[in-house]
Amino acid sequence: MHFPKSRKKEDGLRIMEKNKKATAPLDKRGKRINSNRRRHRGRLISIGYLLPSAVGLLLFFVLPFLIVVYYSVIDNPISNQFVFLDNFVMVFQNAAFRQAAQNTFTFSISAVPLAVVLSLFLAMMLESRIPFKSQFRTFFLSPMMVPIASVVLIWQVLFHFNGMINELRAVFDLDKIDWLNSAYAQVVIVILFLWKNLGYNMILFMAALSSIPKDILEVAILESATPFQIFFHIKLRYISSTILFVTIMSLINSFKVFREIYLLKGDYPYDTMYMLQHFMNNTFSRLDYQKMSAAAIMMAIVMVIIIGILFLTENYFGKDVEG
Amino acid sequence: MKKIYMPSGRKGIFKIIIITAVTLCLMAAFTGCSKGGAEQAENKDGYVYVPEYKEFAVKMRYLNEITASGDKAYAVAMVQDEGEEDTYRTAFYEYDLLENTAREIAANLNDDVNVNSLLVSADGNLVTAVNQYEYEEDENGEATDVNMTMELRRISPEDGTVINSQDLANVITNIENSYIQNMCEDGQGNIYLCDGEQGIHVVDKDFKKLCDINADGWINSMAASKEGDVYITTYGENGMVLKKVDLAAKKLGDPVEGIESGSGNVNFFSSTSKSLMQSTANKLFLIDLETKTSEELFDWLDVDIDGNNVDIVGELSDGRMWTISREYSETGDKYELVYLTRKKASEVPQKEELIYGALWFDSLTRRAIINFNKSNEKYHISVKEYGNDYDGSQLAQFNADLTTQNCPDLIGLTGLDFAQYASKGIMEDMYPYMEKSGLNKEDYLENVLRAYEQDGKLYGITSQFYIVSTLAKESLVGEQTGWTLSEMLDFVEKNNPENVFMYGNRESIFRFCIYNNIDEFIDWESGKCSFDGEEFIRTLEFASKFPEEVDYNRDEEGISSRLRSNKVLLMENTVSSIQEYQMMNGMFGEKVTYIGYPNNERNGNLIQPSGGSIAISSKSKNKDGAWEFVRSILSEEYQDNLVEDNYGWGFPIRKDALEKQFEKDMTPEYYEDEEGNQVEMSKTTWGYDDFEMEIMAASKEEVDAVRELLKSADRLSGNVDSQLTNIITEEAEPFFKGQKSAKDAAGVIQNRIQIYVNENR
Repeated sequence: MHFPKSRKKEDGLRIMEKNKKATAPLDKRGKRINSNRRRHRGRLISIGYLLPSAVGLLLFFVLPFLIVVYYSVIDNPISNQFVFLDNFVMVFQNAAFRQAAQNTFTFSISAVPLAVVLSLFLAMMLESRIPFKSQFRTFFLSPMMVPIASVVLIWQVLFHFNGMINELRAVFDLDKIDWLNSAYAQVVIVILFLWKNLGYNMILFMAALSSIPKDILEVAILESATPFQIFFHIKLRYISSTILFVTIMSLINSFKVFREIYLLKGDYPYDTMYMLQHFMNNTFSRLDYQKMSAAAIMMAIVMVIIIGILFLTENYFGKDVEG
Repeated sequence: MKKIYMPSGRKGIFKIIIITAVTLCLMAAFTGCSKGGAEQAENKDGYVYVPEYKEFAVKMRYLNEITASGDKAYAVAMVQDEGEEDTYRTAFYEYDLLENTAREIAANLNDDVNVNSLLVSADGNLVTAVNQYEYEEDENGEATDVNMTMELRRISPEDGTVINSQDLANVITNIENSYIQNMCEDGQGNIYLCDGEQGIHVVDKDFKKLCDINADGWINSMAASKEGDVYITTYGENGMVLKKVDLAAKKLGDPVEGIESGSGNVNFFSSTSKSLMQSTANKLFLIDLETKTSEELFDWLDVDIDGNNVDIVGELSDGRMWTISREYSETGDKYELVYLTRKKASEVPQKEELIYGALWFDSLTRRAIINFNKSNEKYHISVKEYGNDYDGSQLAQFNADLTTQNCPDLIGLTGLDFAQYASKGIMEDMYPYMEKSGLNKEDYLENVLRAYEQDGKLYGITSQFYIVSTLAKESLVGEQTGWTLSEMLDFVEKNNPENVFMYGNRESIFRFCIYNNIDEFIDWESGKCSFDGEEFIRTLEFASKFPEEVDYNRDEEGISSRLRSNKVLLMENTVSSIQEYQMMNGMFGEKVTYIGYPNNERNGNLIQPSGGSIAISSKSKNKDGAWEFVRSILSEEYQDNLVEDNYGWGFPIRKDALEKQFEKDMTPEYYEDEEGNQVEMSKTTWGYDDFEMEIMAASKEEVDAVRELLKSADRLSGNVDSQLTNIITEEAEPFFKGQKSAKDAAGVIQNRIQIYVNENR
């Protein structure tokens, strides 16, 4: 989540620190002993507090990442011969990786904007005066509480070749569609993704919408601003940091959709459902750590670039509403 | 000039600390944890049990029953008659375990008496359950009928005199169908007779019936605790459970909590130090029933004993433990009396430790490892069995170990995709080791070695193997030794049988057609698959003509009759012995062609390792030690032993041992008829389904045919990635159920497998 910085506050703290320095007692040679000791002590205490987190970060994030980097530049985990960027070239040329990257990109580019827009729309709806608001809220949040195995079971019942959707189509004399083994498979996954994530995003947007200063909205209404103008020029700007957060979370969740696909179709699904995580999971279980690591690093780089762009966008659009 | 700045001051120190921490963490991650070293049998308190193997004072062919009290054991055994070859009698022995001496008890055990069960009573006498047979004979002395009585006898161990006895017909209602498999005595002198299925019958010390206790299921074993209570083991919901026999309530108590009985080979024995002793396939425990705790004494493998073979375990007054291990052998079971002495680990000479890692630990490898540990003075092998669960986490752990320094020195290949692991460089090429050790490739069946080769390197090996094949009448398929998929389909369609196999269904017939030649539908060079091609679709449609489900309960004629009348054309079977080959010829009613599984090379017979295949890890720190073990199973002595003991299933891979096997199979056995003539008799009897056949000594032609068959195969059975077979099975199912067309099903299979192929190129 975005936490707006307050430069004024920081400046204030610096001035206080300066004043403290100025008032510290001097020794015979005119040096400020207590100030140095205090600073040294303070540093030790902060190191003590930081150490558990730093060690945890090193062990569970930095170290595994370094290991992944190491595996990405060796030929295999047995002989450990340094091959520099060969694995990246090999993975990039791999048809399965390209397919997975394309599918993941297509899925994210369609599912993430939908997840943001639809949840914002729902949040706006629930902001307005409609009956059964709390029931709707609960309804949209309920998928989060359902265990993933049950979700997959429900989806199988719905989208199986002999499932409910095809039964329904048969009523209208429409041909059966093999939803999970055809080009439609990604549509099913997008629907599943939206069903699972809309509720959470919606709650975040509702919180952001309720924190928009009421006086600004009232002034806008008094100034005869249209609802369209209020939404685009005021609300959207005030919730831009939340939009960024929801987009990033949805993007991350879009990569996690592998779990659902895996439970639906195993390691090797129909090609339109084959994601980057399939590629990495399969190469890991076949002990091709070098391929997996190269793919993971490439994916991480793309993610960093996308998130960087999102931050820049948010900085650009939301800067005038931040303190 | 560019200056190099060294970190200085506190910031610098902090940086150095962080860099050192990261480096140490990296080193730890890449080197992994250290191995257990030579701590294989060391207990928490630093003690180990050292085995001492003794020959039995009595040379017995078969140990019927054994029980113990203190330092004495009492046994009923089948022993050779003095001076009479091949004549055996049943004898009663008192065995002094401290001195390792035996004294025969002069009990009257003639041919008509069979001792079912035995215990030592608190009064020092023996209690036995015996079956007495009385034969009714006609005027020629031929037995026309037999009457069996079951008796409980109290016998003096001094001279074998019967102190008192009771006809068990007065105790057990349904005595005709009873068998006393186990007996125990409680603290009050009451005797519990365990009749596996029917429950427990209890008599007092004067053999008067007290009650029957129903067990509600099969009783696996029974033992008396040190406290004087009697316990049984029975199968619960999650494996074996231990229950107390509650005499007052005349029922079994609730399962004893805190005792992990497991589901495998579990036995309980009386103990003098704690309540009971529990022996599993892997370990020996002391059980304290008061605290409901168990203490692990040792791993059977660490004392070079197969826990599955343990007949009895006991404690001696001098602190040692003793056990009898029984090993199956065709020439008579082999028994070992083993004393186990507790010593400080530091006092015991240590061996270099090797780890054998496998998903499953098979009995043949277990036996080989035990023999190696016993005989090798330099190395000791410990076993790490990973298991294989449904979510694959144990396989993932195994894989993780294989790529780090935690890797086992020896890898059991059972359940692993050999080709995949070999291509990753996980296994060491064994040819250089063979050469260095003076083992000639030519002394072994080259085709078997070839099956374990990749790029001319030998990555795995087995000591014993058999052939998996498809059998058909020679009159139908000719003498050809293989066929393509199209030829096989044409053959079946032309003959139009009721079924391809005796119990063939769509899925099994399809599996037969495809699973052993999946690679023919994949061009790894170009990365193209042809699962949507004509041949694959034809195979799907072919399989769909047969029944969807097999009705095993249907009352139909036997396999032999159906094969002979061509109602069934093919049979998937093994060639594990000459005898099996002989039986198959008999069952088909004519000469059989082992045509194998369809493939383009017309070479469809497959090699199946008996037990497991073994590889040396290329990351092992002690490859020479690992090779020592592999060499031991390839040695002439080991291979000859496989033939002599007829242990395992299949043929040895050493050519000279194989010839010895054939020689043994060709040697006729004779009996002497009334006129003193030597008449050839059957060596054994083999049966399959409703067919049974007496097997005579093999002819030279039969041996030659089997020799050729064994040489014909050079591919390993089951060496196909389960990912592929899973996709095919899953996607073919809607077609077999009539939900999709063959073309649509094939299209989905093609699509999914194409990803697999792309990924693995």
